[in-house]
Amino acid sequence: MMEKEKSGRKTDAEVMIGNYAIARGLVEAGIELAAAYPGTPSSEILPGIVEFKKREKMNIHTEWSVNERCAMEVAFGAALSGHKAVCMMKQVGLNVALPSFLHGRKKKMEGSLVIVSCDDPGPQSSQTEQDTRLLALLFGIPVYDPASPAEAADLAYYAVQYSFEHKVPVIIRPTHRVSHAREVIPLYPIGGRKVTLQEGVQKQQTAVSSQPSASIIDNRSSIIDETGSSPDASRLTAFGVVASGMSYSIAADVLAELGLANTVPVYKVVQLSVPIIDNRSSIIDDRETGSSPDASRLTPHALRSFIDSVDKVLVLEETDIVIEALTGDSKKIFGRRNGYVPGAGELTYDVIRDIIANVVNETKTAKVESVSDRAIEEALKGVHVQPRPPKLCAGCPHRASFYAMRRAFPDAIFPGDIGCYTLGISMGAVDTCLDMGGSVNLAAGFSDAFVQDGNLVPIIASIGDSTFFHAGLAALYDAVKKQKGFILVIMDNGTTAMTGMQPTPQTGITVDGTYTRTARIEDVVTGLGVEFLRILDPYDIPVMISTIREAYTYLNNQPSAISDQKSVSIIDNRSSIIDETGSSPHASSLTPNGPSGYEPSASNADNRSSIIEDRATSDSPRTSHLVPSFGGPAVIIARRGCILNSKLKPEDICDVGSIEKNCIGCKKCITEFECPALVFDEETKRVVIDDGLCVQCGMCLYACPKQEKGKKLQKQYGKGTTKKKAK
Amino acid sequence: MKLEILCAGIGGRGVLLASTILIEAAIAAGLKASASDEYGMSQRGGSVVSLVKIGDFKSPLIGRENAGILLSFEESEFYRNLTFLKRDGRVIVNTHKDALPGEVERLLKERNIRAYLVDGDGIAKQKGMIKASNIAILGYFSSLRIAPYSYENIKQTIVEKTKGKFLEKNLEIFEAGFRQAEGRDQ
Ligand code: SF4
Ligand code: SF4
Repeated sequence: MMEKEKSGRKTDAEVMIGNYAIARGLVEAGIELAAAYPGTPSSEILPGIVEFKKREKMNIHTEWSVNERCAMEVAFGAALSGHKAVCMMKQVGLNVALPSFLHGRKKKMEGSLVIVSCDDPGPQSSQTEQDTRLLALLFGIPVYDPASPAEAADLAYYAVQYSFEHKVPVIIRPTHRVSHAREVIPLYPIGGRKVTLQEGVQKQQTAVSSQPSASIIDNRSSIIDETGSSPDASRLTAFGVVASGMSYSIAADVLAELGLANTVPVYKVVQLSVPIIDNRSSIIDDRETGSSPDASRLTPHALRSFIDSVDKVLVLEETDIVIEALTGDSKKIFGRRNGYVPGAGELTYDVIRDIIANVVNETKTAKVESVSDRAIEEALKGVHVQPRPPKLCAGCPHRASFYAMRRAFPDAIFPGDIGCYTLGISMGAVDTCLDMGGSVNLAAGFSDAFVQDGNLVPIIASIGDSTFFHAGLAALYDAVKKQKGFILVIMDNGTTAMTGMQPTPQTGITVDGTYTRTARIEDVVTGLGVEFLRILDPYDIPVMISTIREAYTYLNNQPSAISDQKSVSIIDNRSSIIDETGSSPHASSLTPNGPSGYEPSASNADNRSSIIEDRATSDSPRTSHLVPSFGGPAVIIARRGCILNSKLKPEDICDVGSIEKNCIGCKKCITEFECPALVFDEETKRVVIDDGLCVQCGMCLYACPKQEKGKKLQKQYGKGTTKKKAK
Repeated sequence: MKLEILCAGIGGRGVLLASTILIEAAIAAGLKASASDEYGMSQRGGSVVSLVKIGDFKSPLIGRENAGILLSFEESEFYRNLTFLKRDGRVIVNTHKDALPGEVERLLKERNIRAYLVDGDGIAKQKGMIKASNIAILGYFSSLRIAPYSYENIKQTIVEKTKGKFLEKNLEIFEAGFRQAEGRDQ
């Protein structure tokens, strides 16, 4: 019984998002280690585990790993030594973890390993859609596809037990709609959850119970279990649906809306697995059946007989062809291969309603009127709707960095990376966005290509601090070693902002709030052998611009890699640079931040002490080597805390009222600077500041030609960020 | 009973808090409820939609012209989400304007949709907490008495869900939103 007790006493059900429901199921199953790298839509699972382990006073080791491969292998190590381990990631994170995955599946585990890989149909916050189930099948690992947060909690619990019992890794694949939906989740004591897989044809729910807890429990007891689910063969229906995950839940709602809930049977798929892993399992049918024997070997028996019992089947699954491919019966099936289900994009409510209406009409199961009324769109044609493309936050330090990068070299090549700062694309300061760490390697490749062509172009790559630790280290070392000529701006905002402010290795804070060692980016960068390093505050746009130009001069003054003979003078040349920078007055006065929290530079809006620190490896062993070494990338660390994570200091706050007052309506602050707090008023033809969003950082003053700061910048660096020539 | 509510607004302005209050209030009234949130790449200032479904549904998603109620915490987000509102539905728009564009008025009339224009920002600003305009809208919404959402039920949930020092202000704003409905023709 769910009881809502006043005064915060213990309740045995509560509202939570799907990711917390998964965390709850895992904790109840008695996991002992959990490791993850944050990535939308998976990021809340690990914090959920921390929350429940604290509540239940359990000894679970929890950690944010530097990347998914570390998470997977740490968990795998624990599993090999007999512990119950889990690791969490987003779907593309699974790619990073793959090296161990492929081989690891055959290792004999003493414990259990559950991998939660969250898919992102759409995609909504990824570079690409990717169906985790495909990889699971490729590697022969059972995969579960929850249809709701409540089912996700059950499956998480079940998966740990299954993995422990069968000694195989198991994957749970929730999609973002499951991960982020909120509903009531029943709580059980540790080890006490009762789970029955809801695989098979689902009974129609009848009357709505006024007691929600009763309906939850009813729901459970009416579950058809894994093996016993054999649809009534005598009821030969013309048309049925096979659906999995959130698509199942939507299909059920759509059929109810269309009044077809009792007409069209729906077979729900929860688990997919292949014989090589679990040939004992009764859901795998080895008999010779059906018209295409190869595929049908992989089709669970109950699913096969459901398909046999109907004339036509619609298969709804996200995001790729998996169940549809396994069933192999292409003549019978409405799906992606014959174009009834779109090949890409999320299967939303409307998409599924259209598909079902179409198929139901075609099979003459029923007659469904299509809602082709465009009256709403027609009426809205003349209405101005404020466009809200995704943008960096008002006051975001990344915006200042990007603006400086564009002002320094409007025509540069800008390889970008994965994080909030991918949004720099709309400011023209991100040209590529491939994968985690891709900016560094691509920059190196561009540099080689341009050098080969004898064509020197500034290349300014950007990468965030968390991404740098995730995948940038090896890439930067490679670039140093091979002396590539590009500028790398490490945008250090002290956190993993995009996925919800998870701590980075630099903070030394772990997921449960305890401290470990910190790893400072500047130490890592110099340790990798980078010789040009500046650390600055991106809010100081003029200094940022001049530093980028200085970095480019540094790169171009590097002697050509071919001129071996000049090695001695090169070293001289270098050490003079080092002396110059090493003796900077700022160098010793400001120390980088320790684990006491992320503290960006002490700075002042009008008189910012810009260079936080000049660093050079003056005592590096390199100076005593007589082998030629020719520079390599120049690194700038743009360090200022994420605006959502660290409030502006009083001395950073600027009065920006003059933006509105002096506005001539040129829109430069909007088109080139893109702060979402600046809104163009179509009536007055002037810019107004949205007080609800503006944080008074004052950065827009640099973009406005009518402001002192903007005028100064124009005098020094030309009109704006517009490209001189088309690329 | 079944009820589908779409809450639309801008990131960082309490859309998710509003939908949390709505589902908790429904659950407190003994109903089944779920919510699903959509926020794009922007951390702040982007469009945010939160779907609330009360009653016997399996999925937390809402289809075109299926929502019975649309709560728009910002005017542009009202237009952006109008396709989800069904005929005979009701919508509250947070705006300082006292009329919608003629075309839109005509459309709503033709579909028998009732629109309530409420200056939630104005109410919240007056009470010194502009970011709580969502609470003013909920106050107004409670005056419509759409089951299970009574004034008392929503108020009680706000008391349970708001922390310490903000509670008093929130209740003041909630009350002011509710009062705004006085004298409205039913
Ligand atoms: S750049 Fe200056 S003049 Fe131009 S729109 Fe912005 S505030 Fe107005
Ligand atoms: S001061 Fe300017 S740049 Fe900063 S948040 Fe306000 S409008 Fe945006």
